[in-house]
Amino acid sequence: MDSSLHELWHTTASGSPFQPAVGKGSQFLVGFVLLLIGLALTGGFAFNRSLVNLPVYGVPAGLAVAFGTVYMFCAVGVYV
Amino acid sequence: MKFTGIAAACLSLLSTACANTSAAGSASSKVVLPSTFKPPQVFNNANLVHIISLEKNYVKESINVLIENASPDPQDEYFLPFTSEQMEKIGGFEVKDRKNSGIVGFTIDAVEFDPSRQLDSDIQFYRIKLPAPLSPKDQQTLGISFYYLHALKPLPASIEQTDKQYLTYAFSAYCHSAYPTLKQKTEIKLPSADVPDYTKIAGNGETKEFPIKQGSKLTYGPFPEVPAGASSPATVRYEFNKPVTHVSQLERDVEVSHWGGNVAFEERYTLFHYGAKLSSQFSRVKWAQSQYFSPQTFALKEMKFVLGAGSKDAYFTDVIGNVSTSRFRVTKREAVLELKPRYPIFGDWKYPFTVGWNADSSNYLKKSGSKFLLKVPFIEGPKQAEGVEYEHVDVRVVLPEGAEAVNFYTTAPETSIIEHSVDIVRTYLDTVGRTVLTIKARNLVDELRDRELIVSYEYSTAAALRKPFVIFTSTMTVFVGMWLLSKLDVSFSTK
Repeated sequence: MDSSLHELWHTTASGSPFQPAVGKGSQFLVGFVLLLIGLALTGGFAFNRSLVNLPVYGVPAGLAVAFGTVYMFCAVGVYV
Repeated sequence: MKFTGIAAACLSLLSTACANTSAAGSASSKVVLPSTFKPPQVFNNANLVHIISLEKNYVKESINVLIENASPDPQDEYFLPFTSEQMEKIGGFEVKDRKNSGIVGFTIDAVEFDPSRQLDSDIQFYRIKLPAPLSPKDQQTLGISFYYLHALKPLPASIEQTDKQYLTYAFSAYCHSAYPTLKQKTEIKLPSADVPDYTKIAGNGETKEFPIKQGSKLTYGPFPEVPAGASSPATVRYEFNKPVTHVSQLERDVEVSHWGGNVAFEERYTLFHYGAKLSSQFSRVKWAQSQYFSPQTFALKEMKFVLGAGSKDAYFTDVIGNVSTSRFRVTKREAVLELKPRYPIFGDWKYPFTVGWNADSSNYLKKSGSKFLLKVPFIEGPKQAEGVEYEHVDVRVVLPEGAEAVNFYTTAPETSIIEHSVDIVRTYLDTVGRTVLTIKARNLVDELRDRELIVSYEYSTAAALRKPFVIFTSTMTVFVGMWLLSKLDVSFSTK
């Protein structure tokens, strides 16, 4: 137990309330759009599976799917 | 820039996986003394007022005592005796200075006797260490308060479902003390003036007989000097036509999500009614009639959870599934979840159920420098006029994956906190698992529902990026696999 936390909470007027990068109202839209972009880029890569297309299509697709999945989880109520 | 972020996330992932994050501690301190221990006779109770409040379905006792140092040396340890049965049921033990609220720092320890030796008597002690030693002949006014759970017994033990319920409570007309008490009185506060039985004892001075009954209040005393350890057993039987709600186990989960900006609450209750049993089979027809003609009953038929402002997505389930008899009312200042259990709960009946809700993280979470601070109520059970008692409470604060340097502080009585630990739990999209702070407490009551729990932790950006990084890596592995497969020549050779 750390009693200084009590004062820290009550005196930290400067401490800002935590706000997420994407608010609850926009999580579905952001997640859906990112997953859609990820799907489109995956399609682009699937058309021409070359080493050059890995960074051109694969990396942006991977990033879009990664963040899209996290936000879609949150949007459906599984707050990860 | 992106590469450094990913590398940092990798390193953080490895370091967390290697680190041993499990830690445990015991919160409530205990003092071990030999079984022959007797408190030194260094204090006198110059004046003592003992208030036993039976207005709710648990017992609240307050002892306001003016202590005087009767020894030639400064003293700072005051002992309060209890029987071993009382020690099992006691909770929320707190001490303050009644005259000067600015005096803080009373340390309370439950005294444990050496288990290797047989106990000579049933008496055990709470030790109150004063913030500053009391000089010889000096006085200090202590306000000692505590609760007894499961101390009220229904009499008769079985009644009809439309009958009134009566409870009994056994106590001592003299306040138990390890020191001589020069002047004292005991007040019993009851929920109504319907008190069919109570112990009468011989009075003194102008009063021929104690107690003095004034409406719903009984007063034993004032008594002249009483020696240390004196007791005068007494019993009171009074009307309490309300449920005796006892929560044997409350598991409260608070789950913090930085990605979702959410704090999710879930509470799982194992609830019992410790009042009078039904003497005959429950009749749904009689119940419906009584609800129409005289709605006052000792059965538990509804509960009201007052939640923080901004709470939403409330749910109420039990072992069968969703219970549709609930209402969730949201205003700007608060949110109220009103529940009706699947059946009215009578004496000796059990009703396990779960409630949960979400709230925005901005209402509970702050960022202060490199630290995150979370402030939530320690318990948030139903707000019932008749009260609720909690025997075992497990509060689990599930922090984001990768949170470290976890620390906490609670304004809940320190004597009720049994232990705390920091562990790991794995759930959706987790790789190394989320940091979980578990605090176990016992013998709490609903009066302590506004006590706060503040948790601080550190959470790096690399740790926050772990989840998308793991998905990104998996996706890239699939892409590389697709590319490698495309390089394989699986056509038939013409040779």
